[in-house]
Amino acid sequence: MFVENLERGFYRLVKHDRCLLLVNFDVDAICACKILQLLFKYDNMMYTLVPVQGVQDMVRAFEENCEEVKNVIFINCGGTLDLVELLQPAESVIFYILDSHRPYDLCNIYSEDQVRILGKPDEDDEIPEYNDVFRDDDSSDENETDEESASDRSQTKRRRLNEEDIVKRAGRREWSEKRATILFNYTQYSYYGKSSAMIIFEMAWSMTKDNLDMIWWAIIGSTEQAILGKVESRLSVLEEGFLQAHVSRLTHKKGAEVDKQQQQQSAVKITYDKDLLLVLYRHWTVEDSLRHSVPTAVSLRLWSLRGEQRLKGLLADMGLPLAQSKQRFSAMDLALRQEFKQMVEKLAGKYKVDTIIGTSFTLQYGYKFKYCASDIVYAMLALIESSSKTKLPQGCFLDALDCLSRTKKDILESGIEKAKLMLKTVFKTAQTILQLKEIRNTGSFLYIIIPEGSAGNFIFAHPYPLMMLAQFTLKAYVDSSKNRRAPELPLVASAVYNAEERICIMIGIPPVCEDQPRSLFGRAFEQAAKNTNSYIDADYFDSTIIRLKIEERPKFLDALASLLA
Amino acid sequence: MACCQSYIPDYFAITDILSTEERISCKIEVELPGLGFLDSSCQSENLKVGTKVEFPLWLAEPLKNLQNSVVSVDIPKIYKEGYRQILEADAEVIVLSKWNPFYYELGMHVRKLSDRDYEIITESLLQTFKSRFQLVMDWSQNAMSDPTLSIQLPRLERDLFLIGQQAKIRLVEWLKMGTNELVVSEITTNLKKRKREQYEFD
Amino acid sequence: MYGRKGFKLISELDLYSDILPFNVGCMIEALIKEVLQEMQSLYDANVANSNAIRNDNNMALLPSVQLRHIALKRNKRCILAYIYNRMRKLKELRWELGSILPPEINTNLINAEVQWFQSYNKSLAKYMRSLGEDHGFNLTTNMVPPKTLYVEVKCVEDFGKLELDDGQVILLKKNTYHLLPRSVCEPLIRQGILEHKKYVSMEFPSYEQETQTIQLRSIKSDD
Repeated sequence: MFVENLERGFYRLVKHDRCLLLVNFDVDAICACKILQLLFKYDNMMYTLVPVQGVQDMVRAFEENCEEVKNVIFINCGGTLDLVELLQPAESVIFYILDSHRPYDLCNIYSEDQVRILGKPDEDDEIPEYNDVFRDDDSSDENETDEESASDRSQTKRRRLNEEDIVKRAGRREWSEKRATILFNYTQYSYYGKSSAMIIFEMAWSMTKDNLDMIWWAIIGSTEQAILGKVESRLSVLEEGFLQAHVSRLTHKKGAEVDKQQQQQSAVKITYDKDLLLVLYRHWTVEDSLRHSVPTAVSLRLWSLRGEQRLKGLLADMGLPLAQSKQRFSAMDLALRQEFKQMVEKLAGKYKVDTIIGTSFTLQYGYKFKYCASDIVYAMLALIESSSKTKLPQGCFLDALDCLSRTKKDILESGIEKAKLMLKTVFKTAQTILQLKEIRNTGSFLYIIIPEGSAGNFIFAHPYPLMMLAQFTLKAYVDSSKNRRAPELPLVASAVYNAEERICIMIGIPPVCEDQPRSLFGRAFEQAAKNTNSYIDADYFDSTIIRLKIEERPKFLDALASLLA
Repeated sequence: MACCQSYIPDYFAITDILSTEERISCKIEVELPGLGFLDSSCQSENLKVGTKVEFPLWLAEPLKNLQNSVVSVDIPKIYKEGYRQILEADAEVIVLSKWNPFYYELGMHVRKLSDRDYEIITESLLQTFKSRFQLVMDWSQNAMSDPTLSIQLPRLERDLFLIGQQAKIRLVEWLKMGTNELVVSEITTNLKKRKREQYEFD
Repeated sequence: MYGRKGFKLISELDLYSDILPFNVGCMIEALIKEVLQEMQSLYDANVANSNAIRNDNNMALLPSVQLRHIALKRNKRCILAYIYNRMRKLKELRWELGSILPPEINTNLINAEVQWFQSYNKSLAKYMRSLGEDHGFNLTTNMVPPKTLYVEVKCVEDFGKLELDDGQVILLKKNTYHLLPRSVCEPLIRQGILEHKKYVSMEFPSYEQETQTIQLRSIKSDD
């Protein structure tokens, strides 16, 4: 069931008991969780937070911690799974789901009491009617007859099939066929809904417990969705406006108390302004930032030799000396730094990189601390995916969580350095793939396989870097390909997940032309696996990410191709 | 929780025990039968009058203070006129810990050995401390200061330096985050460090 | 020279200021034995000499007796100081880490010290029980004045199950995050199982900017 009034239907109910928070490994979830944590702290509510990376992780975490817990809150996980079936909770336990993954599992939606989904259903969700999917009246007795017929045929034989029965059966068959179509339509595409951080922020706002920190986290949560292309750009723009209204309200409220100008300078400020959408440019060099931003890299075709010349040309046109462009942005001449925005804006049209002119939120406090929302998103993404042999993924998760506290600037800085490394690897790998023309076209979709063994490629065992790589490669391919159908093709990318156990990770992303980022790969992967009888490990909450055996990959891709043809 | 010490140095004070081990050159005034071995160059069984020996302070001081002094002592050169003048000139540039790691503590004992210079030595110790204190304070308040600095300081100043540094760190923490963050016990941290070292050693 | 071994004992203590390797490699035990031997021989020599003084009125021996007596006292001081300072550290441990010592420390103690620690525990517990209304009063909590009843903590080591005062059981597993009553967390934080996380609100400007503003102002005034 959906809970639309979060304060009454959720917050007040969980207030009196300790709750368990299960949080998925993504930036939006971490932001939502951070806001919730702060609210809980205000109200002295005890909680236990466990980061969960996948379905198995979630089940384990639930089993370990379910003792005496009445409320379990799932953040960006669990919504697409039949939780009651999966976790077998005690009757008194109530599940609250805050998940941006879609579509929701129907059992969660139509659960009467135990499962509560926070937020209201989207119009786009097209949730099937209850009666179309479930049949209360005789579904149980249907099962019975089925069982009977299976176990004891002679008995069934003896039963006279009267006309009434036949009609009933025909009706039932018709219904179940219809049900299958409806279910197919409903579950065909996997996509993302509204950012969870935003939903929680709205709840905090309605309880008038919101503050600048919370809005900042909500901004980061929704920025992540925009950066990774999880939601329509139209929606992100709307959301930005909404966020901006909140920012000015909260800033204004604070400003009333602070009158001295000196204090205003040092106070925390969130600003919403025209900005260049170049990755990390405040913390990088102009050249690197231009090279690693997707729009510039695609439009200037920076993976080729000519591209490099075009980049130099752009810098020359801007009147930015090469030496300066190779320096850290913060160390560039002040005059150049101030003009940088205008310089790029002026030339954006000429080099067809208009998309890098946009707006962004920036958090500033003091003189040294200035980050825009996307900087933090990249840093957090890199931190989340920085697990290694010596560092558990859960530890990385908590680092990313810390990264949101302003007092942990060192963690944020290390995250930004990691992000640079990640972006560099993504770019280099994409460059190799594009130069060697390793993008295969099956006719119905494109696929790339990241070669094993080359240095730095281990980061592609993590879903987000792989996703960024896939998106970049796809855009670059579409932009440079002569194939007119290219924009309509989705892309599948695969990389080694575990070299010793011969397992690879595979993700699918929707085609470029689609404005609504809905991916049909979730179901397609499932079906292809069924057709080839291969085992896929769909442990991720995002169903478009799977793991499978490397030796089964070619067979699997063939099946996928014939399925989508 | 530190135990309060009712008087300093108390009977159990480690620094006092360590500082009183310092050798003082003494001249034997009364023959000491059967203790010839205390002077390694001495061949006879008894320690003869007039022999020069190096006794630790804890021994020299009470021996001198006996009703009829068994020994006469010569105070260490670092507390003598020449060295005092060096300190007077510029106490800050001297690596005092090289003179003696317990310069002040020892000085407080040594001054009692010399009736003549009692007050001068006291005054010199005080002045030295005063002029160097600013330096110690300065170092300790500078968060960036070199950790090896503390080795250059005699014990008393080093302790002050470390306390000052701690205080500074805590002040900054407090100004930054407000107080009362709960921290890991120092003992636990040290234990862990030790464990890790052992692990690496193995 | 007399008192060398005693001095060595104290230097050991001074060198390792935070751990207590009492019977590690038996070195300390051997050292103490040597000190005691030295004291015995000093005593024997003095008994012999003082007998001689009494019987033969040989006053020439007196200074040597006095010297040995000083050495005897010095040795006594070293040994007592050694034992006393270890005891003091044990007492600190009780306040820092609670009534159960980590095994790393426990193995370094000799039996008498373990017994002393237990009796210290007992008297402290008895005293704390006598305070307050009915339930006694735990003096070892809230060593820093608390600001909140609950604290956010990150679990950095697998601990297992923790029972709260109200009987709730919480599983403390590495890399989980909790909001728990401060009083429960405090000892665990001290033991390094939990890590205290603090939230600093945006509403308060931090020290860093304050100082920067001050610096900026002083630069301006220089002009």
